[in-house]
Amino acid sequence: MKKILLVEDDKSLSLLYQEELTGEGYEVVLAADAESALELVRSGGFDLIITDIRMPGKDGIELISSIMGMRKDIPIIINTAYQSYKGDFMTWAADAYLIKSSSLDELKTKIRELLAD
Amino acid sequence: MITPYRMQPANFNPEIPKELVLLSIIAQSFFQPFSLEDNLLVILTALTSGAGIGFNRATLFLSEGDKLKATMWLGPRSPEEAEAIWTMLSSPGLGYAEIVEYNRELVSRLLPDLKPKLRTLEYNLEDENLKLPAAAVRDREIVLVTGASSDPRVDRRFLDFVQVDEFLCLPLVTRNEIMGEIVVDNAITHAPITSRDIELASLCALLAGNYIHTTRLYKKVLEMEKMAALGEMAAFISHQLRNPIVAIGGFTRQLVNQPCNQEKCQRNLNIIQEEIKHLEEIIFRMSHFLRIKIKELVPIDYRPILQAIKERPDIKAKATGKVISISLPENNSLILCDPVYFEEALVNLLDNALDVTPPGGRVYIRACQRNRKWVTITIKDSGPGLDEKSLEKMFSPFFSTKESGLGLGLLFVRRVLESCGGKVEVRSKPGRGTMFRLYFLARERGAS
Repeated sequence: MKKILLVEDDKSLSLLYQEELTGEGYEVVLAADAESALELVRSGGFDLIITDIRMPGKDGIELISSIMGMRKDIPIIINTAYQSYKGDFMTWAADAYLIKSSSLDELKTKIRELLAD
Repeated sequence: MITPYRMQPANFNPEIPKELVLLSIIAQSFFQPFSLEDNLLVILTALTSGAGIGFNRATLFLSEGDKLKATMWLGPRSPEEAEAIWTMLSSPGLGYAEIVEYNRELVSRLLPDLKPKLRTLEYNLEDENLKLPAAAVRDREIVLVTGASSDPRVDRRFLDFVQVDEFLCLPLVTRNEIMGEIVVDNAITHAPITSRDIELASLCALLAGNYIHTTRLYKKVLEMEKMAALGEMAAFISHQLRNPIVAIGGFTRQLVNQPCNQEKCQRNLNIIQEEIKHLEEIIFRMSHFLRIKIKELVPIDYRPILQAIKERPDIKAKATGKVISISLPENNSLILCDPVYFEEALVNLLDNALDVTPPGGRVYIRACQRNRKWVTITIKDSGPGLDEKSLEKMFSPFFSTKESGLGLGLLFVRRVLESCGGKVEVRSKPGRGTMFRLYFLARERGAS
């Protein structure tokens, strides 16, 4: 079973994503901030990471550069409410940049694509 | 010996050169409110007052895109009116400020009558057959027109309006742009326009062109700031509102599309209800913030309010395990503010201070009569302090270090203080906590 790390600080959204992605047949592990996400990545075993950008403490962009320093092979999806970070070149390091939507179809398609490679 | 002089000399020694007199009249405008009309009126005054160049009348045109439109007119309309105005203006002891003030009144008195006529004086600067006076600004040339009534290069509508054979066109321009034009004449006295008059008038035209340019730039900057604030607001809305909306939408979709057992249905509905409450709260807080309106400043005794804030249940709950220490000054002067906004501003700051203060830490509130003018209230936390970047942005709308923060609290505090004639100072360093000092205007007890 493919294992996904979801970094999201909003409780309702974490629950929603977890349920929906579990329903797609993935194992989903939650992290509410960048620090605990990094701990989890260090311990290994993830096939894909989905992260928000604005979070308390370290933001998603810093998280991505830390992960890049550790493991370059795990695909990363940015899933955020903000359009504006698309201009930040650090977000180009991610494999996809999605804007949060109540339909998770786009997210699910992206995950399928990235995990198929 | 110490000898004070007035910043604005009321009268000038008649011997000094006219250039200096003009500059001094125009310098008055620096003491006027920053409005285009006021500043231009000062220039028209410099052109027409006896103390200035002494033209009889002036017509002002402003550019608007490709158009040149007559917008202001200063001067008497008939010899009788001229007599009255000039007698009035030459009364002894009348300073420049009074003359400007008089002219302001004159312009607003004349304008309703003149407006329909002025409106007919509109020229398209791109027009190939453009006539005088407008042609002068297109060609960026000062033009003296004599024998106007028999010259086909002069616009008839303009002649009908001014009814004068000799006038001077002064273009108002910057290096690249056309700002407008002033046309002056001596229709009442019929004094010929001399080359000395033209020299002096060109100085006024240069300044007027610059004025208009600066005012327009200033307006543009304000608009850009507004747009930038709008952009931030849009980003804020997309984040603060999008999260709850996505949750509501997502859980609703589950209810619609997936078979759910009773328990899960109920849970989804509960989440939806919670998130909607959350949205309502955001909207309430935003509109509340935008509505700040202090109708009347009253002297208030802040001491009991400070003590009461400490006892508020929301503050007490947050302060568990932390200490709030309040120190008040000996005397009992009052401050000018609105009691409700005062309390809210203080609660806002105290709430922030408690948020960042670690368990066992202390928040200090200290009121102090600094001098006769100011009472300050200082709130200091023992939190981690702020770096320069956060300090710089802390009053910008929608900036927050708290994830659930709207980023409006400190802006609210500042707006309240500004509405009370006071100000906010902030000091903070990483590791040293943050200190807010609020300055309120002091009032003595019993004073009116």
